[in-house]
Amino acid sequence: MSGHDSKYFSTTKKGEIPELKEELNSQYKDKRKDAVKKVIAAMTVGKDVSSLFTDVVNCMQTENLELKKLVYLYLINYAKSQPDLAILAVNTFVKDSQDPNPLIRALAVRTMGCIRVDKITEYLCDPLQRCLKDDDPYVRKTAAICVAKLFDINAELVEDRGFLDSLKDLISDNNPMVVANAVAALAEIQENSAKPIFEITSATLAKLLTALNECTEWGQVFILDALSRYKAADAREAENIVERVTPRLQHANCAVVLSAVKMILQQMELITSTDIVRNLCKKMAPPLVTLLSAEPEIQYVALRNINLIVQKRPTILAHEIKVFFCKYNDPIYVKMEKLEIMIKLASDRNIDQVLLEFKEYATEVDVDFVRKAVRAIGRCAIKLERAAERCISVLLELIKIKVNYVVQEAIIVIKDIFRRYPNTYESIIATLCESLDTLDEPEAKASMIWIIGEYAERIDNADELLESFLESFPEEPPQVQLQLLTATVKLFLKKPTEGPQQMIQAVLNNATVETDNPDLRDRAYIYWRLLSTDPEAAKDVVLAEKPVITDDSNQLDPSLLDELLANIATLSSVYHKPPESFVTRLKTISQKAEEDEYPEGSEAGYGESPAHPVEGAASPTSSSGSRQLAAAPPVAAPAPVPDLLGDLMGMDNSNSLVPVDQPTPAGPPLPVLLPEAKGQGLQISAQLTRRDGQVPPLQPGTSARTLLPMVLFQNVAPGAPNTLLQVAVKNNQQPVWYFNDKISLHVLFTEDGRMERSTFLETWKSLPDSNEVLKEFPGLVINSMESALDKLAASNMFFIAKRKNANQEVLYLSAKIPKGIPFLIELTAAAGIPGVKCAIKTPSPEMAPLFFEALEHFLQS
Amino acid sequence: MGILFSRLFSSLFGNKEARILVLGLDNAGKTTILYRLQMGEVVSTIPTIGFNVETVQYKNIKFQVWDLGGQTSIRPYWRCYFPNTQAIIYVVDSSDTDRLAIAKDEFHAILEEEELKGAVVLIFANKQDLPGALDDAAVTEALELHKIKSRQMGYLKTSATKGEGLFEGLDWLSNTLKSGSG
Repeated sequence: MSGHDSKYFSTTKKGEIPELKEELNSQYKDKRKDAVKKVIAAMTVGKDVSSLFTDVVNCMQTENLELKKLVYLYLINYAKSQPDLAILAVNTFVKDSQDPNPLIRALAVRTMGCIRVDKITEYLCDPLQRCLKDDDPYVRKTAAICVAKLFDINAELVEDRGFLDSLKDLISDNNPMVVANAVAALAEIQENSAKPIFEITSATLAKLLTALNECTEWGQVFILDALSRYKAADAREAENIVERVTPRLQHANCAVVLSAVKMILQQMELITSTDIVRNLCKKMAPPLVTLLSAEPEIQYVALRNINLIVQKRPTILAHEIKVFFCKYNDPIYVKMEKLEIMIKLASDRNIDQVLLEFKEYATEVDVDFVRKAVRAIGRCAIKLERAAERCISVLLELIKIKVNYVVQEAIIVIKDIFRRYPNTYESIIATLCESLDTLDEPEAKASMIWIIGEYAERIDNADELLESFLESFPEEPPQVQLQLLTATVKLFLKKPTEGPQQMIQAVLNNATVETDNPDLRDRAYIYWRLLSTDPEAAKDVVLAEKPVITDDSNQLDPSLLDELLANIATLSSVYHKPPESFVTRLKTISQKAEEDEYPEGSEAGYGESPAHPVEGAASPTSSSGSRQLAAAPPVAAPAPVPDLLGDLMGMDNSNSLVPVDQPTPAGPPLPVLLPEAKGQGLQISAQLTRRDGQVPPLQPGTSARTLLPMVLFQNVAPGAPNTLLQVAVKNNQQPVWYFNDKISLHVLFTEDGRMERSTFLETWKSLPDSNEVLKEFPGLVINSMESALDKLAASNMFFIAKRKNANQEVLYLSAKIPKGIPFLIELTAAAGIPGVKCAIKTPSPEMAPLFFEALEHFLQS
Repeated sequence: MGILFSRLFSSLFGNKEARILVLGLDNAGKTTILYRLQMGEVVSTIPTIGFNVETVQYKNIKFQVWDLGGQTSIRPYWRCYFPNTQAIIYVVDSSDTDRLAIAKDEFHAILEEEELKGAVVLIFANKQDLPGALDDAAVTEALELHKIKSRQMGYLKTSATKGEGLFEGLDWLSNTLKSGSG
């Protein structure tokens, strides 16, 4: 038994993955291809086959296009999960991007753009550069899009490598498809960039207009969208552009039509000749009408856009109102939009026709649609003075049908009509009062009560009517309660008799003592005080003349409307919201490490967020020390007191709200070391620099900044050297606050670190080999030796000599930290190629890790 | 004899391909060697970030030659290619005296690999055409070849740009592979 049982642990059965692995490494091409297909199949059904990464990538170099495509597909899927191994694919990409077959070149460049792995993006720049200048237009257009993708991954790289200029060159390409894609890429880059990148000039304008006629429909959309952002120099240029674009209105693709409409609308702003504008409006109508014969979904999109267009230029569709009449089988969302547009297009000329339609709709079955139709009649009455009477007679007819929700809706709009045309149509009040009992919706009830209160003097039994509502006062919704309160006050002021007086007592009592609603209570108290102090004044206030209301069917604010019009044919114009309100972009702003700046002691590293109380406790270094890195509390404890609680509580003290918007010095904000929430309102931001200073008195709610000296060699924490700076802050109001900050070794390099060549050599020789520490930074790249040396010199690492070794350069530098401890540095690197080797010799080799950390940080930035 | 020879070959390889890895530090000339072997001409190369694989037909034998990038960052991934390898060509830049020590370390590390225990090893002391290229003695000394025992190993001076020594290497490989397994 013993000794043989181990066999149970080693199974002879292989899993799927090892089997696939074996097949992928097969000697035979067919078998490998089949294996890759199996892998892709497993991948698409969601099995994790990422462990086969290298084996699949090894199949990448093949003549077989089908196999290559499969491997590329695999790469797109898994490169992110295997970022290190993805580098193995780079060479194949580079080769494929030079393949004689343009399809393979384009495939390579497209796939490269889809692999979002930082480590390999830089290797993909050279192939991309080549493909942007490829002979084949298909490759060029694919490369153009790839630039936009790359910009999303690494914007700086795109700018550094001049891809933006290459893209701009492609706008002048002789192939329209390339032009369209370059435009699309530039537009996308522009959207993600704050800088002006893509600006059309008169030269590119001509190219775009020429390409417009020849490229595919989606290419046309890109170009039209770009053109709509172009500001023509003068009316003539705008006319010319519009003239070239007008034929696009006849396109079969709705996106092209809408983009063309957008573009023409934008340019029309500049055209002064009324004849031309009128002519253009005439031309735009038929394509828009045609859009309404498409599927309901497209109709809806078209209607939402038309809604915007008619607000800006009603003339375009003024004669086309009939196409917006609802069909019985239109989906409800289309019907609602059509109603909206009908209201906007209603005019004295077509109102009879429109009213007939509305009346028809008001008898349909869909409750929402019926309500909207009734409301539409009211809005037309408000909009068109001469048609108001006709509208009201239609409304009265509808009330007579006695359909509950129609009546209620009618009362709501009639209230508005009364406000719009005071003292004109009050004769119908009697009719309204008949349906008083059927009202059950708050808005309708409130409207009716408003009418009763407003016209109390003309309604004989106003007090009775109101009284009937008052019985249920406590149960009514707030909207109705407020109206009841106001109407009762109006009634009382108009008929100060005994009945109303009792009513007002009851209402005021209900609305003050009995209610929890602050709005209601406030209003009731105001009335109460008004009535008890000066009833005449109350009359002037409550019964004052009201401003006449106007039509609200052009609801959109003009500036918003213009913004939406500029976004026609996008989601923004369908939602009627500006894009930024629903599109959130994750911007990858590479935050520059601020630490780079402080060793010079310049003010550049200094700033603060004005929104928080800040006490700058900056500690720093100019004296000497090797192990001072830990525990050096600021010498002067901040004496003054941030007593924020006092502020918060002392609301009645008028000057206690201290403005915190003191001038902010330029530069990035300091890192917050002690957050406000933790420090009971005291926030501390700090950074190391090379100056001295004192802590100023700090008043409640204010912030102050200061520089503090750091004493080295005292209170040093025991243990190995590290980069932790422990800080304690004491003040006379709060407990002592402790926090940590990390400092980098290079802030301690002193100015006297320069060494003569001979001293360097001697020191190097005199130190034993055990004091030499070597470290490689495979990921680091030095692009320019000169700029690297400048940077190092700026932080007191001094250049001594250099020599060349093959393609690499070897640099010798020196630095010194306090207590006179020297660092002798040997840097080996080749410009532009990743991999930096650094050897240092120092009497304190235990500091080496800190040194390397600082150096790496330096060279990275 | 000749008939016997070709029979042996066909029994050995059939229409299979011998899998050969070309390894070495960056800038040793691996890619140049590969394409010199495959196309017979000198192509201009850039650092190989990843790999190249080509089939080289030589004297009725198909070699599937994998040229792997020599950058420090890629060397860790060499091991992904070790399984099923019949032979290794290790390329050394004879003129890069400074990095011979690193070349030696990498070389000895490869020899230690379990998966490569059965592979024959051929060393190309490349770039012999350059002035200052070290001679045989210096290279073998630097690589500490004397320390290696129990290994079938070949050594050739080559110049990829001039095409010297490369096909002799293939001759040696085909002979060794044949006799090694036969």
